[in-house]
Amino acid sequence: MKNNIIILGGGQAAIYAAREVRKNDTDSNIKILSEENLLPYERPPLSKDFLLNKKNEDDLYFHSSDVLKNENIDFENVLINKVDFENKKLFTKNDDVYSYNSLLISTGSENKKLSLDNNLNDDIYYLRNLEEAKTIKEKILNKNKITIIGGGFIGLEIASSLSQLQKKVTVIEIDNQLMGRIIPKQIADLVQKSHIEHGNDIILNKQIDKINKKNDIYEILLNDNSIIETDFIIAGIGSTPSVKLFENTNLKLDNGIATNQYCETSIKDVYAAGDVSNFYHPLYKRNIRLESYQHAQNHGICAGKNIAGVKTEYSSIPWMWSDQFNLNLQLTGICDDYDEIVERGNDINNGVIYFFLKNKIIKGACGLGIVGKVGRDIRITSKLCEKNTIVDKQILLDETQKLNKLIQK
Amino acid sequence: MSEENWIEVGSTDSIEEEDLIRFDHQDKTFCVYRLTDGFYATDGMCTHEAVHLEDGLVMDDEIECPMHQGIFNIKSGEALSPPACEDLKTYPVKVDNDKIFIKID
Repeated sequence: MKNNIIILGGGQAAIYAAREVRKNDTDSNIKILSEENLLPYERPPLSKDFLLNKKNEDDLYFHSSDVLKNENIDFENVLINKVDFENKKLFTKNDDVYSYNSLLISTGSENKKLSLDNNLNDDIYYLRNLEEAKTIKEKILNKNKITIIGGGFIGLEIASSLSQLQKKVTVIEIDNQLMGRIIPKQIADLVQKSHIEHGNDIILNKQIDKINKKNDIYEILLNDNSIIETDFIIAGIGSTPSVKLFENTNLKLDNGIATNQYCETSIKDVYAAGDVSNFYHPLYKRNIRLESYQHAQNHGICAGKNIAGVKTEYSSIPWMWSDQFNLNLQLTGICDDYDEIVERGNDINNGVIYFFLKNKIIKGACGLGIVGKVGRDIRITSKLCEKNTIVDKQILLDETQKLNKLIQK
Repeated sequence: MSEENWIEVGSTDSIEEEDLIRFDHQDKTFCVYRLTDGFYATDGMCTHEAVHLEDGLVMDDEIECPMHQGIFNIKSGEALSPPACEDLKTYPVKVDNDKIFIKID
């Protein structure tokens, strides 16, 4: 009998894992079980080019159904509601059974929701999947004043897109800076300046006490007693790993599914990849959980190799980007554990980068510039981080010196 | 140059090894590369989103887009790593008297 490989979750990690398994294993059955009735698609454009009508649904799919068919990868739209790890079976609520020899969990992450004490929960919109993006796109057509709760990547990207659609946008952030969870304040302040220059209102350091609805207008009451009137509310306040299905099982959970550097979980033949996995990173010698495009792709590929028996360690340097207006923000490595910051450049037209060093070793960098201007140096930084490189900070400081000279081959 | 469509880009020493320059001609834009074994040319814009590859990183035979890290083989134009999936157009290059020429069709 053929080996059954089941991939639970139908996002980016899933499709890359499936194709990587097939590359290394021409024989096994591979089946992706997805809650969404859509082939795996790219999410980054949802908050940007999709809202701006520069990309449509067909532009988002990673691959056509022909590619999956040619590689003999099954895709099924089904909701699994019980897992029996001991007997290696998954069940739907109708007790349809899927048996596996190896299981990859790539269920991703889900939006944290605002909890409001009145019945307005359905009036708050979120953007994570294509359906939600379509809904927002349609609903905002006849709205003018739009408030975004949460000044993280998703909130700010939506704010940038809606501003370009001539909407009057207000962003409310609880922290004293934008993108505070991971982006250094110096860069966050430059992003904030750009939003303000484009006409967006940015409100920091404020909590929402209450939201009232009067006719079709919402009144958002802040903790300084100020009131924001708005026609439409979108929240982007973070996400949590999608692990509900596993809460009463033996699978070890710890901010997601605890996974080693080979994408293996605490249960034999069960793997996890992408947003849902809190994986051991051999370079940082601790577990980290990442929610990014590059990670979903590369972690999926690594899981695919390991499932197919090609033992492969995952030690990819974190990298992520955000596009807002004509700016491209990039971050690589670890930017919150350092003893020295080195600044390169002071004009976003040419790119501004902050490098984070510890014991003279480069640990990470975060940069902002008009499109294209920081990518090369951020990429070089990733390569330097891979090898825990001690760098000459005079070279980092000096914009006239090219950083590719620092890469040791 | 007697043949048509060979356009002079500049002198060979205008590009460092494992690096590139941008070259604009009429309404088109290109990247011209110097690799260890010679000179190559591709379209200037990434096939994924409208960003010029002039600010990208050249490593071995590959150019990496500075915006989203799509990677292309410089010699064949092949898209090697997502988000890039459409290949990059390449152009013939020749060197004559220390000058680089590309053939634009």
